[in-house]
Amino acid sequence: MIQSASSAPAAKPILEARGLGKSFVVKRSLFGRPLATVGAVDDVSLSLMPGETLAIVGESGCGKSTLGRLLMRLIEPSSGEVFIDGQDVTHASHTAVRAQRRHVQLIFQDPYASLNPRMTIAQTIAEPLMLHDIVPAGQRARRVAELLDMVGLRPEQADRYPHEFSGGQRQRVVIARALASEPKAIICDEAVSALDVSIQAQVLNLLKNLQKRLGIAFVFISHDLGVVKHIADRVAVMYLGKVVEMGTSDEIFAAPRHPYTRALLSAIPVAAPPSHQRSRAARLHGDLPSPLSPPEGCRLHTRCPHTRPDCKSVSMVLEVEAGGHANACAFWRELPAQDAGEIAREPRNPKLEKLFAAFEAMAARPAQTVTEG
Amino acid sequence: MSTPLRTVQADDASASVLDVTNLRVAFEGDTRTVTAVDGVSFSVRKGRTLAIVGESGSGKSVTSLAVMRLLPEHSARISGSVVFDGRELLEESKSGMRSLRGNRLAMIFQEPMTSLNPSYTVGEQINEVILRHRPISKKEATERAIAMLKLVRIPSPETRYHQYPHNLSGGMRQRVMIAMALACDPELLIADEPTTALDVTIQAQVLELMRELQQKTGTAIILITHDLGVVAESCDDVIVMYAGQVVEQCSVEDLFTFPQHPYTVGLLGSLPRLDEKREQLVAITGTVPDMANPPSGCRFQARCPFRVERCAEMPDLIEVTAGHFSRCWRAPMQDLVP
Repeated sequence: MIQSASSAPAAKPILEARGLGKSFVVKRSLFGRPLATVGAVDDVSLSLMPGETLAIVGESGCGKSTLGRLLMRLIEPSSGEVFIDGQDVTHASHTAVRAQRRHVQLIFQDPYASLNPRMTIAQTIAEPLMLHDIVPAGQRARRVAELLDMVGLRPEQADRYPHEFSGGQRQRVVIARALASEPKAIICDEAVSALDVSIQAQVLNLLKNLQKRLGIAFVFISHDLGVVKHIADRVAVMYLGKVVEMGTSDEIFAAPRHPYTRALLSAIPVAAPPSHQRSRAARLHGDLPSPLSPPEGCRLHTRCPHTRPDCKSVSMVLEVEAGGHANACAFWRELPAQDAGEIAREPRNPKLEKLFAAFEAMAARPAQTVTEG
Repeated sequence: MSTPLRTVQADDASASVLDVTNLRVAFEGDTRTVTAVDGVSFSVRKGRTLAIVGESGSGKSVTSLAVMRLLPEHSARISGSVVFDGRELLEESKSGMRSLRGNRLAMIFQEPMTSLNPSYTVGEQINEVILRHRPISKKEATERAIAMLKLVRIPSPETRYHQYPHNLSGGMRQRVMIAMALACDPELLIADEPTTALDVTIQAQVLELMRELQQKTGTAIILITHDLGVVAESCDDVIVMYAGQVVEQCSVEDLFTFPQHPYTVGLLGSLPRLDEKREQLVAITGTVPDMANPPSGCRFQARCPFRVERCAEMPDLIEVTAGHFSRCWRAPMQDLVP
């Protein structure tokens, strides 16, 4: 178990995974005997402390969404244990899990698919209030108005249907619904990936403000490292079902240790003038191996630029340091040191920074209400 | 209305491959007409990459489909001029277009799975393009197809040639699309969000491949993207589109050094950055206007923090500094900072 160094030792994690694993059967024999399985998540241990944001990053197929669903206990793990608010829910009954879900909510990527088109947004947001019996029937309308206000929508919009809203607004509705049950943690699965950058920034700012005001913890599942850097306190990097590196956001972004983290960081295209582009760290070569038969030894060895013969035989264990930083590369100390140019640096001219500041200051001037659409 | 532009510099000998002037695309519905592209002009030169960047609904994809004449004729009204190699594409016959497409004009789309036919092997699909446009035997076409697969660095191309799209990974499928697009040595390649569906490590590989191939073949590329990072790393020139219009046009270097339109400033500011942690991102408030009845005057005014009374009038695309155009009354932006 890894805890963030900053949190008080007395604090109890809201979500905790111990040795969590999930494998799916992809092929069965005529009589239902499993013939092939895919290990989507393999031996993952992590914990989420109150009020912090833990990001889970990785490419498609790394198991980050499956991990999110396991943490919510939407699916039952094949191995390991899940604790929600200190309670073991690994094999808890449906009703027991449902009661616990009040404390952990989920936001999905596609706000179009996660709202019922036949319900007004007031009905949608009131549903968790009703299900968990949080607010008596008479006061629900007021609470819905409060929630809408909290996510930057106008209470007058409560009687509209989802199709009347833009993507960004819909994601705000989804956030309001998640907030309705007064959760201690929200799992955001690619919550801003479908949005345009300018709208994405609005929603990210909203999530950050809500966290500050309400002390909600986030598990932020994303493939976008820029977004993760902006929002996360701690980051877990996954590859083929395994956590390969975990640490504070500052550590991961300033001094990544695992070759996969390094490659991932250097692959992000940087919006800087071409004359200021950094030199590239070594790239990963080839494609993701089939998760049906992950490579022996270190799972990255087939693509790693620093691979050596021993990598095929080492067992991939997460080496946890006292400070909480964990890293699964057995040879990271022997890797070539990263020169400063490899770590993303985007020197910007001071005049441009002033222009951003002016844009921000002027944008903040009129009333802060969101008038979309 | 927009001023026709030529960003060609005097010292550049290479001629432009494609000239688009005052392109306008309107979709007529039963009750309303949406002007998706409103007076767009640009040119693409040999061996250069032009980025068209904008958010969803800005008209960037419609622009490229109009250039390729791929829009439905019964609903899209297209005007303006698209000149490719001295020919007016908007007046070209259907068969004329068919012999250009895939041959001298090629296109790659975002989703490689839906652009490939699942019931033919990738080899057959590349062959089809070559045989359609080149008077060569099937055997020679096969050799060429395998050579193309090798060129886009698909491992064991002879085996892959006989495989179906579902046997390939997403990155590999996009490489097949690139191989198919480049099979007839096109002069112009339009890539519409070619790497958006791919993971970052694969995206980096594909972009690098496109750059290398361009250096070899001198193909002009129009890269349509919403990702400013991709623009910065793989393009030479850029046009920024907002609500159907070009709002800024310049070299990539100029755009990222100092943008001259408030929309671009907002876009750059709203990108979460890797080298700094700020409490709040610079967000652009509001959303894009309804294109069925766009606001009169500047289309960004409702969301623009720098708006003034004059913004009720539509500004022209004016040259702010050499080769750097902006559609804003308040440009140059230098004057807005202390």
